[in-house]
Amino acid sequence: MSRIYEDLTVLIKRSKIILYILGAIFLLVLASYWKIQVLDHQKYWKMAEANRTRELPLVAPRGLILDRQQVILADNIPSFKLSLVPEAIDNYEKTIDNLSLLLELGEEELRKRIERYKFVSLYQPVVIKDNLKLEEVSLIEARKEEFPELKLEVEPKRNYPLGSTAAHLLGYLQEASADEIKANPDKQWRLGEMVGKSGLEKQYNDYLTGIEGKLVEMVDSRGRPIAEISRTEPLPGKSLVLSIDIDLQKKAEELLQGREGAIVILEPRTGECLALVSSPSFDPNRFITRFSTEEWLSIVNDPGKPLENRAIRGMYSPGSIFKIIMALAGLDQGLITENSTFFCSGALKLYGNVFSCWYQAGHGRRNLAEAIKDSCNVYFYQLGYQMDIDVIANYARKMGLGQKTNLDIPGEKDGLVPSSEWKRKTMGEPWYPGETISVSIGQGPLLVTPIQIACVTASLANRGLSVRPTLIKENRGELIGSRIQLPRETFEKVIEGMWQSVNNHGTGQGAFQAGLDICGKTGSTQLISRKTAEKIAGEEGQVAKTHSWFTGFAPRENPEIVVTVLVEYGGLGGQTAAPIAGQIFKAYRDKYVRPENIKGN
Amino acid sequence: MLDRKILKEIDVTTILLMVAISITGIIFVYSAIYYQGSQYVWKQITWLLLCLVVLLISLMIDYKLYLSISLPLYIFMNLLLLGLLIFGKKIANTRSWIVLGPFQVQPSELTKLVVILVLARIFSEYKEDLMSLKAFLLSTLVVALPATLTALQPDLGTALTYLPILVSTYILAGIKKKHLAVILIAMLVIGLVGWNYGLKDYQKQRIETLLTPDQDPRGAGYQLRQSKIAIGSGGLTGKGYRKGTQSQLRFLPARHTDFIMAVMAEEVGFLGLIIVFSLYFLLLYRLFSSAWVSADRAGVYLAFLAAMLIGCQFLINVMMLVGLFPITGIPVPLISYGGSSLLTSFLACSLAINVRMRRFSFI
Repeated sequence: MSRIYEDLTVLIKRSKIILYILGAIFLLVLASYWKIQVLDHQKYWKMAEANRTRELPLVAPRGLILDRQQVILADNIPSFKLSLVPEAIDNYEKTIDNLSLLLELGEEELRKRIERYKFVSLYQPVVIKDNLKLEEVSLIEARKEEFPELKLEVEPKRNYPLGSTAAHLLGYLQEASADEIKANPDKQWRLGEMVGKSGLEKQYNDYLTGIEGKLVEMVDSRGRPIAEISRTEPLPGKSLVLSIDIDLQKKAEELLQGREGAIVILEPRTGECLALVSSPSFDPNRFITRFSTEEWLSIVNDPGKPLENRAIRGMYSPGSIFKIIMALAGLDQGLITENSTFFCSGALKLYGNVFSCWYQAGHGRRNLAEAIKDSCNVYFYQLGYQMDIDVIANYARKMGLGQKTNLDIPGEKDGLVPSSEWKRKTMGEPWYPGETISVSIGQGPLLVTPIQIACVTASLANRGLSVRPTLIKENRGELIGSRIQLPRETFEKVIEGMWQSVNNHGTGQGAFQAGLDICGKTGSTQLISRKTAEKIAGEEGQVAKTHSWFTGFAPRENPEIVVTVLVEYGGLGGQTAAPIAGQIFKAYRDKYVRPENIKGN
Repeated sequence: MLDRKILKEIDVTTILLMVAISITGIIFVYSAIYYQGSQYVWKQITWLLLCLVVLLISLMIDYKLYLSISLPLYIFMNLLLLGLLIFGKKIANTRSWIVLGPFQVQPSELTKLVVILVLARIFSEYKEDLMSLKAFLLSTLVVALPATLTALQPDLGTALTYLPILVSTYILAGIKKKHLAVILIAMLVIGLVGWNYGLKDYQKQRIETLLTPDQDPRGAGYQLRQSKIAIGSGGLTGKGYRKGTQSQLRFLPARHTDFIMAVMAEEVGFLGLIIVFSLYFLLLYRLFSSAWVSADRAGVYLAFLAAMLIGCQFLINVMMLVGLFPITGIPVPLISYGGSSLLTSFLACSLAINVRMRRFSFI
């Protein structure tokens, strides 16, 4: 075996010469770097020192939020913020000392605030205090020369002129955290940028946020601006017009004052919410600061949970409200007609247990409309006795329970519609028929949110057309949901019972308003068994109350408004929730219904 | 099939030098743009790992196989460049990118490798001391076609990096004096016509800037001026990692790509630069020496042209930063941010490593 090499000496000789030339060029280049870096170093050093510009973001004001009559719910006011330019600090410890005196801020706190931004470039100003009072501003202005490292700026700050009104649906802003900035690289959030953290402010954050401007200024080596180089003005965000009627919203909030609960008012035809109340509320203006630990904690830890939006996140037993769905199911399954009756003696014994009616004396013989009017439990026990839990679950889901209504604010809860499969999965047990009896009057594991009940009521008012609720006026999204496949007469038969409930001395009569054909249904949720309730009442001398529900719509024909009220621990639905709903119907009538259209006027 | 003996011949020194230079690059890419988040760095690290894998795979195959498919590859790449010109989407004002999922690839970078393969193929059987007219015209055309297509994108910087390949070929294959005269005159004519009709205003300005850099400090001379300030103010030992005012205050343009060496010069000074320059020269030496041990003519061409591709691009870039060359968008091979450039550099080196691995060929 022999190795045969080609004669490559000419090529190799040439390439070696090239390498020598390359080496020489390397040396020449290094020599020119030597000239610039070492020989002319002083000259360039001075140029670098003199040559410092700073880019500052110009915050764009967020878009306004307006109610349906253009009342301002959220706008912007100028606010002073104080920043520190770390690069310009001579003596870190001295600066911290002086600043903590000047700003009346603990040194620890101050250090913490500066630390938050430690991974940002030294030349980026760090916000150390915002929402400065005028006295503080003048104090700092007077010492400008002493503290070249401080930078006082005006920025637009979110303002909610009505304070705690509609706070849950508007939401609030907070500084984007470092984690959020990392998680959303496409949003290009700046450190310290205030972004929507809940409600509409979060849902429509991109829409409301304007386009940031930019100021480029020349600064000297101590960070003091010498000249402005360029300025791009910010572009304000777009305004959002809500479907909310702030008068109704205020009225509803007033009616829940001092209580915990929720109210939803919506237009059944469009799904537009006129009011969405959760009580107690909070003042979102208090969050519009980068540093609010104490106040924030006091609100977060409040036992009344003011931050929780009960209207979409509160999960409650529907109680007797659920009888509406039972009635629809019974009619559709052909188990009852509007004329079939059951006899109520105050209690019913089924599967070896006694199931009692809320009216211990008994309602006597009741047809469907009367059973709804009086909210007779025994009637619906009898109906539930003939039905399978999965059939009931099917109708509940068909009406929109157990799933989000997709209202356009984040955080909505699903609620819970139990079925035999659900029980097997979560508890590993079969469904017992006795539980079906409880579910048939809206007790048991069944859970709903107030917005779901409002939507069920809207579907009922629309005689089967479901809508997706929205907080935006003239929302062009897909709002009209599907048609619920039930005959129109089925709805009419249930509505008759709801009409009687309010207008014919039923449980909902507290909601009655002259001239408005209101249809409604009350509900009270058993929190604990009657025995335990009596025991507690005996020991503590007070009454353990149930949650109080009312949902209804008006007028009976061509309905214009749906009102759903939930009052936690409000007692019977007829006692608390129904009169509150009545007040809302009245407010609505006074504002929207022209006198000549009021019936009997 | 791949022989165990051949596998043992993998040139670990070259690979280590490449990785060391690339990691140095990533360290300074981070310094240049860390305030924009670390995603750039992770992306570049991903590219580096990917390039290593591609490098190892490409070494499994004998370079003679690459040579044998070089012509179809060449036709394909040129069609791709032509297609980009016609159908490409404009990104940053040029039609030079193909978007593949999260990555953008610049075919004009990879084409350079194919051009090298084709040239090596042409000259593999060419035993004359000086090129004939036919060889001269053929080699010129092979380089000029993709270079022109790239220049039309318009990406003049990348197009310009084809020139060293051509010049290196002339030198290695030997150019006749009359051919040299012809090519010089042709370039002069193209230069004049191009200056008057082809070049965009900003491109002309960049060249004028080279002659009178301080005329308009905020205009066309801005980039060169800032780059020189960065380098000069860095001094002997530099301002410290991530402490360069010129880069951190964003005076320097394209800090993580074309001007990355200025960031380095500012932050680690002249002494730091000497280390990087030395690493680079060692790498070049290693690539050249692969050419010297090659078993065949094609191998010499491959290793030599690959070394020249990388070496010239590096030199042009560092000369550009101090005003010894007009400012064009040329990244530093292995160091600048950018996957296509890194991949091209890796594959270029892999050609040389491939040649060295298979230097003992048995017939």
